[in-house]
This record gives sequence, C-alpha cells and structure tokens, in this order.
Amino acid sequence: MKPQSLLESDPIDDYLTTKPRIPFKIPEEVPSGNYGLVINGYSLAHALEGNLELELLQTACMCKGVICCRMTPLQKAQVVELVKRYKKVVTLAIGDGANDVSMIKAAHIGVGISGQEGMQAMLNSDFAFSQFCYLQRLLLVHGRWSYNRMCKFLSYFFYKNFAFTLVHFWYAFYSGFSAQTVYDTWFITFYNLVYTSLPVLGVSLFDQDVNETWSLRFPELYEPGQHNLYFNKKEFVKCLVHGIYSSLVLFFIPMGTIHNSVRTDGKEISDYQSFSTIVQTSLLCVVTMQIALETTYWTMISHIFTWGSLGFYFCILFFLYSDGLCLMFPNVFQLLGVARNTLDWPQVWLSVVLSMVLCMLPVIGYHFLKPLFWPVRVDKVIDRIHHCMSHPLPPRIRTRLKHAGSRRSAYAFSHKQGFGALITSGKTLKAKFPKKNSFPFKK
Amino acid sequence: MKRGSHDCQSRLPDNTALKQQQLPAYRLQLTATKILSGFFITGVFCLGAGVILLLSAKNIKEVEINYTEKCSDCAKLRENTANFDKECTCSIPFYLPEAMKGDVYMFYKLYGFYQNLYQYVLSRSNSQLMGIDIKDVSNCAPFKNSHNGIPIAPCGAIANSIFNDTIVLSYNLNSSMSIKVPMLRSGISWWTDKYVKFWNPGSQNLSSAFAGTAKPPSWPKPVYELDEEDPENNGFINEDFIVWMRTAAFPTFKKLYRRLSRIQHFTEGLPAGSYSFGITYNFPVTKFQGEKSVVLSTLTWSGGSSLFLGLAYTVTGALTWLAFFAMMAIHLRLKERKTLFHQE
Repeated sequence: MKPQSLLESDPIDDYLTTKPRIPFKIPEEVPSGNYGLVINGYSLAHALEGNLELELLQTACMCKGVICCRMTPLQKAQVVELVKRYKKVVTLAIGDGANDVSMIKAAHIGVGISGQEGMQAMLNSDFAFSQFCYLQRLLLVHGRWSYNRMCKFLSYFFYKNFAFTLVHFWYAFYSGFSAQTVYDTWFITFYNLVYTSLPVLGVSLFDQDVNETWSLRFPELYEPGQHNLYFNKKEFVKCLVHGIYSSLVLFFIPMGTIHNSVRTDGKEISDYQSFSTIVQTSLLCVVTMQIALETTYWTMISHIFTWGSLGFYFCILFFLYSDGLCLMFPNVFQLLGVARNTLDWPQVWLSVVLSMVLCMLPVIGYHFLKPLFWPVRVDKVIDRIHHCMSHPLPPRIRTRLKHAGSRRSAYAFSHKQGFGALITSGKTLKAKFPKKNSFPFKK
Repeated sequence: MKRGSHDCQSRLPDNTALKQQQLPAYRLQLTATKILSGFFITGVFCLGAGVILLLSAKNIKEVEINYTEKCSDCAKLRENTANFDKECTCSIPFYLPEAMKGDVYMFYKLYGFYQNLYQYVLSRSNSQLMGIDIKDVSNCAPFKNSHNGIPIAPCGAIANSIFNDTIVLSYNLNSSMSIKVPMLRSGISWWTDKYVKFWNPGSQNLSSAFAGTAKPPSWPKPVYELDEEDPENNGFINEDFIVWMRTAAFPTFKKLYRRLSRIQHFTEGLPAGSYSFGITYNFPVTKFQGEKSVVLSTLTWSGGSSLFLGLAYTVTGALTWLAFFAMMAIHLRLKERKTLFHQE
C-alpha cells in the first residue's frame, strides 16, 4: 500500500471531505506486491457503508484478485455498482442462479449460465451459454473480433462519407457557390445504399485479424479493446483528415485532366456530365480499394461483395445512361450516352488510376511505418503470430487434453486434516508439458 | 434435476462453416517485401506513363487569341442590349511560324462563364429537345414563355445564352490574295447527342413543325433557321446548338467550333504563313468580366495540350520512388538492429 494514502493530499480524502458535484473517478495506483482480498458478506455490509466504500474499492483495485463470499444478491449488485460508479471501466458479471440476477443487471455486460439453477440468470442477461469456461471464448475470441470489426466499420464509414461529401466543398469554388452537386442525383441515392454497403457489411460479419486458436493462445491481443485503441477521438480525426485528403485528390485530379482538354477527336470531354462520371468512378474505385485493404480475412463472400459491388456500379451506370431509359423519362434521366462517350478514352482511365495511386499509397505507407515508429504492445504480439504462422512448428506429441471444463484439481478431504501441504505443492495437478519424470497423481 | 435437453440443443447454432465462422479464406498480410515491391512497381509505372504523356503533349501545337477587347469597340457596343441589331465585325491577323500538321480543330474559349451554376443547369427541357413534346417548358424557368405567353422553343437559360459569334479563318496565299480556309460544321458533337438525345419534332417542314412556339428572347433568328443550307444541321439537331447545350463543368472552357476540312491547300493541315480571323462579334462577355478567345489546335491520343496529367504522373512516380528508397532504408536499418539485438 502506498504510504501517501494516509496524507492529506490523497485524492480520495479530498473527495470525501469536499464532496464536489462532478463525478469522481478513482485514480489508478500500482501496488508494490501481489495481494489478494477475501471478504465475506457480513464484513461487506460494513465495508459498503458511507465513506468506507471508497477505501474498499481502492484496496480491492490494488489486489490481483478479490473473493467476496456469502453475499446477498443485493450486495453482489452493490459491489458491481461501486466499481461502475467510481472507475472508468467496463464491468462484466457472470452468474448462473437467481441470486445473481441483480448483479447481472447491474453490470455493463451480464452473462448468464443456463444450467442447474434454472433460467433466471439466462433470461436477464445479455449473453447466455451453458458453461463458465465459455466466457474465455466470449471475451477473447468473439468479443475481440466484434470490437475490431466495429472499429473498422466505423472508421471506414466515416471516411467514405467524408471523401464523398467534401468534393462538393471544393467544387463550390468553381461553380459560383451555387450548391451544384458534383455527382448525378442517382449516384447520390445509390452510393450508400447499393454501391458501398455490401463490402463493409462483409467486413463487419466475417473479418478476423487472427483466427480463434491464436486469439486464445495470446490473450494480450485483448488489450486494444480495453484501452479503446482502435476507435477514439484521435482515430476519428485521422478518418477526417484522410477523407479531406481523398476528396482533394478525387476532385483536383479529374479537374486537371479535363480542364481545358478535349477528346482525341476534338469533341467535348470537359462537360459537367463527363466530369461527374469521372469523379464518381474514381471515388468508387478508391473506396473499394480502401475496403479491400482493410479486409484481412478474404472469404468467397467478401470477394463477391467487394468486386461485385464495383461491377454492379458499372452495370447500373450503363443502365441509367442508356438510350431506352433516358428516352422514356427524359427529364428524370438526363445523362444519355455519357458513360459510353466518356469511359472510352485513355486519359479518363489514366486519371482514375492516378487518383487510386495517390489515395492508396499514403495509407499503405502509413500502415508500414506506424508499427516501426510508434509501436504498440499488441503489434509485437501480432508480429510473433505472423512469424509463427509462416514458420509452423512441427506438431508436438501431446496427450489429448480433456475438455477444460471437466479438468479438476484434486480435492482436499474435508473430514481429515493433513492434506493441505500435499495439495498446495502442486504435485496433484496435471502437468502442462509432459515431463518424463512426473506423472499425474490420480485420486 | 434434468432439464429438457431438447431445449438446450435447439439453441445450438448450426455446425456449418458459415455459422461457426470457419469459412475457407485467404488472409491478407501486407509484408514488407510486398509493400516495397508494390511501391517500386507503381513508381516505375507512374514515371513511365508520365514521361509518355509529357512527350505526347509536347507535340501539340496550339494558337490562342483573346479577342475580347481586340475587336475595336464591339465589346462596348455589346454591353448595351439596345444595340443588338447593329452588326459589329473585325479582322484579327496572326502569323503561324510552323505548319500545323494533321487534323486542326478550331475552338472558342470562354473565361468566367459559369455554365455549371445550379439554376442554369436545371433550366432546360429534355423532352422538348428530344422532339417528344415541343410545348413542355415546365423546367425552363425563367425562359418558359415569351411575353405573349407562347412557349419558347428551345426553352431555358442554357439555350437562350447560346454563343453566337461567327468566326471565319482566312489564309493569305500571297500578299494580295486571301482564301477562306474550308471548315466543317459537322462532326463536332457526340454521336449520341446528335442522333438520340436531340431530335426535331414531327415533319420535314421545320417551320410548320415549330408552329405555336416562339424563339428565345436573345436569339436573332428562330431555331429552324439555324442552318438553312443543311437540313441535317437545322432545328434542334444543329451541332453548334448541341455543343452549347452540353454544359461545361468549369467556368473556363473551350468548345469545338469547326474542324479543318483537309482539301485544296490544306491536305496536310495548316501550312505556315499569315492568317486572319474574321469575327462577327455578338456575344457580350465584358458585362460579367468574362473573356473569350479563339483557339486553333492539333490533338494527340491523350487529348489536348494540357500538361497536367503528364506532370502529375511524373511527380507521383518520383515521390513514390523517393518513398520506396526511404522505406527500404528504414526497413533495412531496423532489420539490422533487430538481428544485432538478437545476437547480443
């Protein structure tokens, strides 16, 4: 324990004496050793009253583990609420009985075990499964994947909409600030609905940065979620800056290409409708390449969604600009023949390729340089995983592990004294790595 | 107590690859080798494309003459709309030091004319221009009907503001004789525009087909008198009209006006020598501080004489290669440091 906690300047003492209006968060402290706390419900009743609860929380948070036993359901909820109120963390409560329901409801995430004690815990929970050990998979595999997918989804969604919309800002300077859109109205309608929705859906459903075996073996990969590393205010600002840069490229490259320019046969290419088509096509190619870069787990479905959306864009483009449709509704579909006339010429495709190069290369360069200059702890783990994946070790001869749930350490007999030393020596536990000279001591 | 085990089993997700998230997949891993080689190849491609584009743009010959103020007092005359019926012509001589070989195109170029303004772009009636319904002027505010209430054909602000200068190029064979350079009025607009999007209404006799409509207020003649010599170029399908109706994206734009007909003295293009432009100045630009010029230009496979794409590609290629060398240096240095560290 830190000696400073007894001083006047301790923030908790400060809070207790002044009781300010703003919500108070306990500061993080590093203990000077490994401690554990065991407290029973009777003592907890005293520890949770008034000013003592902060002391309890401060002490408990400095311990490696805390065991509260013989608690009433209300006390279970009170402990959870104590942590929620004074610490900036996400809490998870798991339980299998009706007495755990209040705790499950009090925590941020409630997990219920459907089992021997009925359905109450399960019905009140956010997640339910049948064994306590599945909690490991819930957090380390599915929870982690979910966090990664959500962050990728959010940053991509903001990026593609910034790139899409900010082009109009640059065009305003050249259109007399008359709010003329760069794109055709049908493109604006279909952009978020049809052209870019499926690939990002594919990423959100299927993406895995590492597979489940590695996720379980390296729990350190869970850290970014705990520290809000992958989507926070800084990441949002990065999306914004990336979107602004992309919109600059997407506007000025086509503008430079067609400004004061004509086709090879002298006919028009610098008209509004051609410009609109070129910018649309560049934008879609760039955002498709961006999602392709962010997808780390390419299933068949991802391929279909990503490349299919781009192909679908071209199909719809030619359909909307076709003779038949435009002749039927001349005032609604006004871009007759633009796709055929514009997308035929090499300078248009060269401009699309240049936009793609200018938008993608800085991103790839950043992904390459960031782990070298600003490494995060998790990068080293991922490096190791990639190294292991590319140099697989020869399969070790291991005895087949029984299902972890049924693994039991040896029990002490409660009616006789004397086995405590034997059990705490660890000799009765199954060895992790089979050693030739020891064998499990069977009961 | 044994619970209903069928309850538990009905909650079990299917053991398919999709539901168990074990679909066969390829993992994208961007290793240092892949990234660096990608940068290198992109750099090579961009530099190559840039050099090719620059070389082809250098071969183009272009002559631009800004005649906004050059035409005596025509600019001042046109600022006053009461002078619309007074003709104002002038002749601007110029000298071509080198011959322009190949196809030569004549454009008119406008500065500061915002054909991309929101209300301006909306002010047209495609159903009228397709010949479907000649009296449909619903989108054409503020040029829907004439002061008598008769619908205007073609209606709208775009049609009303058509560029109506006439530019004739003459070549001085020798000091006393000058001939008109033969120019083609056809083949200057998109095929889809001329044959699908724009269509004259009804019958062969255009003036009767356009009965019941009025000419736009700024036009001297009605639409069926745009080119009385060539019925394929009269009415809505007049190519100068079609070219104007294809609104430009930026306030500075050039539109194809005429192209050289390679006959008589001009089979190889325009020979070097002295020429002059005979201009009938009708289009008033000084009122909105705009400018206009006439451009004679040859073209190449990459379009006009704009150096932008070539320069952009070259700069991108150079930057990519710079980035490649920098990243390669960093990567090798760090690899060295890592192996040194492992050796220690």
